[in-house]
Amino acid sequence: MELVSRGAGGVAGLSGSGGDMVLKVEVLSVDDDRVRFLLGGVDVAFTNALRRTLIMDVPCMVIDDIFFFDNSSVVPDENLAHRIGFVPLRTDLDRYALPGDCDCGSELGCEKCRVVLTLDVAAETETRTVYSGDFVSEDPAVVPVSPSIPLTKIAPGQAVRLEAYARLGTGKEHAKWQPVSTAVYQHVAEIEVDEDRCTDCAECVKACPRNVFAMEEGKLRVVDVNLCTICGECEKACPVDPTAVRARPLDDLFLLTVESTGCLEPARLVAEAVRILSVKLDEFAGKVERGETEDVIDVYAVAEVEKARLARGSIEDVGGDDEDAVSDVGAEDEGDVDSDVE
Amino acid sequence: MIIPVRCFSCGKLVGDKWESFSKRVAAGEHPKEALDDVGVERYCCRRMLLSHVDLIDDILEFHEKREVVDIRGER
Repeated sequence: MELVSRGAGGVAGLSGSGGDMVLKVEVLSVDDDRVRFLLGGVDVAFTNALRRTLIMDVPCMVIDDIFFFDNSSVVPDENLAHRIGFVPLRTDLDRYALPGDCDCGSELGCEKCRVVLTLDVAAETETRTVYSGDFVSEDPAVVPVSPSIPLTKIAPGQAVRLEAYARLGTGKEHAKWQPVSTAVYQHVAEIEVDEDRCTDCAECVKACPRNVFAMEEGKLRVVDVNLCTICGECEKACPVDPTAVRARPLDDLFLLTVESTGCLEPARLVAEAVRILSVKLDEFAGKVERGETEDVIDVYAVAEVEKARLARGSIEDVGGDDEDAVSDVGAEDEGDVDSDVE
Repeated sequence: MIIPVRCFSCGKLVGDKWESFSKRVAAGEHPKEALDDVGVERYCCRRMLLSHVDLIDDILEFHEKREVVDIRGER
C-alpha cells in the first residue's frame, strides 16, 4: 500500500524537509487489538506527534461518574469506583460527542454524550465475584470489552447497587481514557552485508539476539530487517576488520506498534489520530497565516504580578480577592440553576 | 487485595486474565507458560499477575462466618 498525501507533505514541510514527500504506509500485521505498520517518508517529529496523539488525544469511553445506592462489599466505594473507572468500554465514536462539544451543557450529560450503566448484584447464599459482565448498559454497543474483569467479591448478605455514567474523554485528562496500552515506534534498520569481505562465518547469526540473520546454503542472509533493534551485536561479533556487516537506523522509515485497550479497533485508532493531528495542524497553519502565533497572555508578566502579590503578603488583599471570586462563582451558579429549571 | 484492572505501567487490561492464570498455576503449570497463554507479553504486565497476592478471600472469611444481621430491615 503506497499513497501520496498532501497532508504529509505539508507536515514534512513544517519540519524543514520541504517538497512533496511520498508517504509510505505498509501494514505488517493486524489483529483484534494490535496493528504493526511501517511508516515511511516522514521524520521523527511527525512520527512522535502521531504517537503522542494516539496516547493523549484520541477519545474513548469509560465510566466517569458513579452513584452508589448500596455497597456492602469489602472494597470501599472510592476503591470500587476507581476500579470501575479503569474498565475499558467498547466505544462508538460516531454516535457520541465529547461532553465539551455537546450542546446539552448538562453536568451529567445527555443521550448524545453519555451512556448509563447499572450494576445490581447481591449474594444470596454463596460468596460470588462481581464481574464487569454484570453491568447492564442502556446502549448494547457500549459494554465492557471483557465480561470477566473481577470488580469485587461479595459474601452472603452483601450487595452492590450503583449507577455509572460513561462518557468520552482523552488520555490528557486521565489515563483511564487512554485508548492504547502501547503506542511505540522504532527506527527501521538498514543492514548492509559486504559480500566481498563476508567470510560466511555465521558469528553474527549466533550473536544476534533478535534472529535477524540466517545461513542459507552457506550464505549469510537477512531474514527480517524489521526485527533488528540496531543493538550492534552483529558488528561486534564480526571477525573481519572493518566489519562486513553494518546495521544503521534509517531516519525516514519507522515501525509503529499500536495496541488498543479494546475500546476501538487499532486501525480506527490510527485513522482517528491522523484526523485529529491534521485538524490541529490546520489550526496551527491558520494561526501562522493570521500572525496569531504570539502568546496572548505573557506568562512571565503573570508570574511577576503573582510574585509581587506574594511578597506583599497582605492578608486583606488576598482575603478581598477570594471573597470577590467566591461571590462571582456563586452568582454564576445560581444563574445556571435557574436556566436549567426553565 | 484484588487483581488490578489494568497494568500500572502500560494500561493493558490484565484483570480479566487473573482467574485463568491463578487456576492454571495452582494446577501445577509453570507461570511462564500460563502467562504466555493468557496473552500477557510485556514484563510490566507479567509482573502484575506474577506478583499479585489475592487477599480478598481471606478478608471475606470474616464476612462469610458472620451472622447476617438485619440492619436496614431488608434481610
